[in-house]
Amino acid sequence: MPCQHYKDALIEAAASGAQPQGYLHAHLNVCLDCRAAFEQEQSLFSSIDAGLHLTANHEVPPSLLPRVRARLDEAAATRRGWMPQWFALASAALMVVAFLAARAVWRTNVVQKPIETARKTSVPPPENHSPVVVRPVEKNPVSQRQFAIDKNPLAPETLISGKTMPEVLVPRDQEILLAEYAAQWRLHAHAPLLAQDSDATILPPLQVAPIQIAELDVKLLADQKSQ
Amino acid sequence: MQELVLVQPGRTVGDELGQRAAQADTRREFEERLAECGPLAYRVARGVLRNTADAEDVAQEALLRAYRKFDRLRDRNRFRAWLVRIAFRLALDRLRSGKRRELRDTLWSQPEHQPPAATAEDLAASTEFQAHLESALAELPGKLRLVLLLAAMEGHTIDKIAAMLGISAGTVKSRIFYARKQLAEKLRCHANIIKTR
Repeated sequence: MPCQHYKDALIEAAASGAQPQGYLHAHLNVCLDCRAAFEQEQSLFSSIDAGLHLTANHEVPPSLLPRVRARLDEAAATRRGWMPQWFALASAALMVVAFLAARAVWRTNVVQKPIETARKTSVPPPENHSPVVVRPVEKNPVSQRQFAIDKNPLAPETLISGKTMPEVLVPRDQEILLAEYAAQWRLHAHAPLLAQDSDATILPPLQVAPIQIAELDVKLLADQKSQ
Repeated sequence: MQELVLVQPGRTVGDELGQRAAQADTRREFEERLAECGPLAYRVARGVLRNTADAEDVAQEALLRAYRKFDRLRDRNRFRAWLVRIAFRLALDRLRSGKRRELRDTLWSQPEHQPPAATAEDLAASTEFQAHLESALAELPGKLRLVLLLAAMEGHTIDKIAAMLGISAGTVKSRIFYARKQLAEKLRCHANIIKTR
């Protein structure tokens, strides 16, 4: 059995891989047990190193790199395909919201209009002989909004600047052609848009003249007959 | 059925082509590193997981992540170190999540009979000793384990490991020393040596 006193020093020396020096070297020369223990300890570290070498340099499966390349291709394809899907979903959601909003506005108009129309066109009481005055119908708010968009000079600029760049679905073989056409179109980016400058598209505000109703001239039938 | 693509007509052809060319460049640059660093990622993962299939999965995942974030890597010379860290972290995550596997390995690593003393060559060749070694390796702290694995890999000098991990050569040596010593303490009972009086 090796000496307890030298145990730690033996292990340290074996772990460092260096040959024992000084008093340890002298002791190993005289103590056969400690020398044997030291050799066994060196053997243990050698086997650990050999085992680590095996573990750390494990043969790489030949399928690794081809599989990685395949996954890289998949990732690239998914990335390309993901954007249209995302935009399609977003567009669909936007359309649904717009449809619901338009429906809600339309319903409100339908419910309110007959009441207003009934109020405005109601015949005054017979005892009040004041002439009936029909006010002009209010402008449709939707139309007003449309005019506002048409008159907004920044709208076409925003389109051209690319912040709200539209997207379209085209066959793959026409992608480049469309892009070239768009490039040509961009050359005329500062040219006035037809919709903006054409006076024909800007409708004048609706003006309805009050209806002129002559006062009723009521005569008795007997008088007419006598005349 | 004809394939449709979503395009922004407002973009110029140059934008599209330039983007594609940039992607192709990135891919080419990554491919150049893939052949060299792919095995490294696998070996790091294998050293942690001790399972070929899991290590391959983790290496693939690490390489895929590295590719996705390749553009963000400013210093491309740091790619190896970066990949090693990704693979090591993913392997540790996989190891932690595999509770069943851990339990199975723990049971397997407690043999009823201790092996007799043998020579270094016999011990290294022994599958059982290798299993004990890998179990002991798994119990090491992450920092020590990574350094020890890298040091055991062919072609990795102390200076290379230090540069890769961004630590000093002295720290690398120190970690290797303590890691080997801890392994020896765990494995000594399997080698039946150093029984002091």
